Amino acid sequence: MFACIHVPNFSGESHAALSDCASAFSPRVENTAPGTVVFDLEGLERLFGSYSEIAEKVAEHVRAAGIQAHVAVASNPDAAISAARGFAGVTVVGRGTEAKRLQDLPLDVLAPSPEILETLDRWGIRTMGAFRNLPAVQVSERLGQEGVRLHKLARGAGSRPLVPHWEALQFMEVMELEYELGTIEPLTFILSRMLDQICSRLRARNLATHEVHLALGIYLRVLRLPVPVRNPKLLTKLLILDLEAHPPGAPIQQVKVEAIPTKPRVAQNGLFVPLSPEPEKLELTLARIAAVVGEENVGSPETLDTHRPDAFRIRKFEVTAERFGNRNLLLKTCEPDRAKQGRMVGSSHRLSEVERTTPAAPPKDLLDGAATPPLPRRGLRLSRNDQLEGGDFALRRFRPPLDATVQLRNNIPSWIAFHGVHGPIEKLSGPWRSSGDWWRPNRWDREEWDIEVHNLNVGPPTSALYRIYYDVHTDRWFAEGAYD
Amino acid sequence: MDLGLFFMQSVVLRARLESALGERIPSPFTDLDTRIPEIVPTGIVPVDALTGGLPRGAITEIFGPPSSGRTRTMLSILAEATGRDEVCALVDGNDAFDPASGIAADLDLKRLLWVRCHKLEQALKTTDLLLQGGGFGRVVMDLTDLSLSYLRSVPLASWFRFQRAIEKTPTVLVVMTPESMVKSAAALVLRLEMRGTDWSTLLNAMDVNLEILRSRRTRPSISKFEFRISK
Repeated sequence: MFACIHVPNFSGESHAALSDCASAFSPRVENTAPGTVVFDLEGLERLFGSYSEIAEKVAEHVRAAGIQAHVAVASNPDAAISAARGFAGVTVVGRGTEAKRLQDLPLDVLAPSPEILETLDRWGIRTMGAFRNLPAVQVSERLGQEGVRLHKLARGAGSRPLVPHWEALQFMEVMELEYELGTIEPLTFILSRMLDQICSRLRARNLATHEVHLALGIYLRVLRLPVPVRNPKLLTKLLILDLEAHPPGAPIQQVKVEAIPTKPRVAQNGLFVPLSPEPEKLELTLARIAAVVGEENVGSPETLDTHRPDAFRIRKFEVTAERFGNRNLLLKTCEPDRAKQGRMVGSSHRLSEVERTTPAAPPKDLLDGAATPPLPRRGLRLSRNDQLEGGDFALRRFRPPLDATVQLRNNIPSWIAFHGVHGPIEKLSGPWRSSGDWWRPNRWDREEWDIEVHNLNVGPPTSALYRIYYDVHTDRWFAEGAYD
Repeated sequence: MDLGLFFMQSVVLRARLESALGERIPSPFTDLDTRIPEIVPTGIVPVDALTGGLPRGAITEIFGPPSSGRTRTMLSILAEATGRDEVCALVDGNDAFDPASGIAADLDLKRLLWVRCHKLEQALKTTDLLLQGGGFGRVVMDLTDLSLSYLRSVPLASWFRFQRAIEKTPTVLVVMTPESMVKSAAALVLRLEMRGTDWSTLLNAMDVNLEILRSRRTRPSISKFEFRISK
């Protein structure tokens, strides 16, 4: 048995939704014509009940999708199409009763060519019943093969196989606006409606999306998500936040939204899974934070494989439950899109570059204490002398490094002033020389010093530890950060 | 009035109130202060021994002057959390965090969301969004490099709002300031101060005083102790 869904007065907008409705019941769906789909019901009785019950359920599903359509069930595709085109509402044509049920329908239902329709009209043949009563041989002699095919359809005796479509799924909505939109706010309602439609189609196929393409005329935005979602409200908010951060430069005349389908996320949380944000909620939080501080200032830091000071980049922060196992939650930091999301902060240095780092020979009086660099140690703990010892010092960086005025005595810094700090340098070690990228415009060549400054600026004198450096190329001193 | 009758009337009244508020407020007569908050370690053994650690669902304030070990303590707290596979967030008030120092402190940078702010308003707004979003084990708000006059302009109500936002969540909010700002909204307040440095031609170590000014959960027997941060 086959079912046909036919939309009278089809406007061309909802055929994809019609196809999705049919796909919700059967994988074998034929897109017969715009506004008409036929699908195979074989074997569905166990799932949905009798054919009349199936027809009712199909009609209900189509109504829920906001489509007014006729539904018919018959033993062959052509009879189902004829019944759906001819009868309003839900029709079930029993096996062997096709000719009798279809006999009163007009010939227009068969969609004959205008010439044949005119000929039959001149003969006084206006219903399918009258047409099927004509002898088949004479119809063949006078109307040719097309007449024979129509005669067979009029008898409800079609035997053609179903031709299911296997086109790639496309979840796209396009809307031409009657007037131009100059602001983002009205777009919220349009996007919400379009994404509602797309997400309901995704849900009907048990799919989700991890990438949404938004085209506002020639202005394109791509929203990439770390996890598949099908929540229209979330997608609308993310798109609006993205548009607020990157507004289109021209009024909007056309809106096109396309969601790239993927399998939905399957996650099973355990009682002892470490605390971590919900991926969907996190994405929205990150978008909102990016709107406050800028997209380039949110993410996960990653140091670069270079000796250049303060060389790092920000990567997109993602928490993804990819695998169900002893560690349910995996964190995934993925390479951002180079054109739009990728950014490198602090350095334009490439990983393959060669640098040289040369600790300069310290002054003779400092050599005695020179030691191998300490290994990083974890946590802060008790030492032998019942004091606590910790890992490395932490550096708080000044970004960008602060200009400093330094007085030298015997080529060793003795006094410093920079941004609210001035005073004698009580203790120091250095210089530690490093250089690199000598073949590039952004080369560096510097001498670092660790200093303890007795700050006389305001209030009671206090001491603090800083890292300063002398830039060999610019012949200037800078304060790079404070040890804390 | 008969005491028994009065008792019965109060029981009936309580049952009615619980029934009326049941959908909106579960257990309306439960004293919130009697709940024992979950404690997480700081990664600094004596602090954990004396205070029990950082209370979840509450604010911990760490303050002190420059070079007093605040940042090293903050990194220790974050490293301890990421070591337990928790996800942390650092709201960097003046873009001062050094990722290399984080790695040296065993901080898993993949589990750290770093928000680089350049204004106090950005830091407050970002913290609000992170706390509302939820799911972070530790949220550190580093305001140590911001001007004191700006920080003093933050109304006390803002800190109480943060405290209310996290009080029923497992998040630990750590606020780092140059002076005590959070006041009574903080459940644990630590003050750090540099006591001295150890130079043997090179900068070897820094001796730090840590003082526990407030600990709502326990009354520590010792409120001050010293530790050394070596390079």
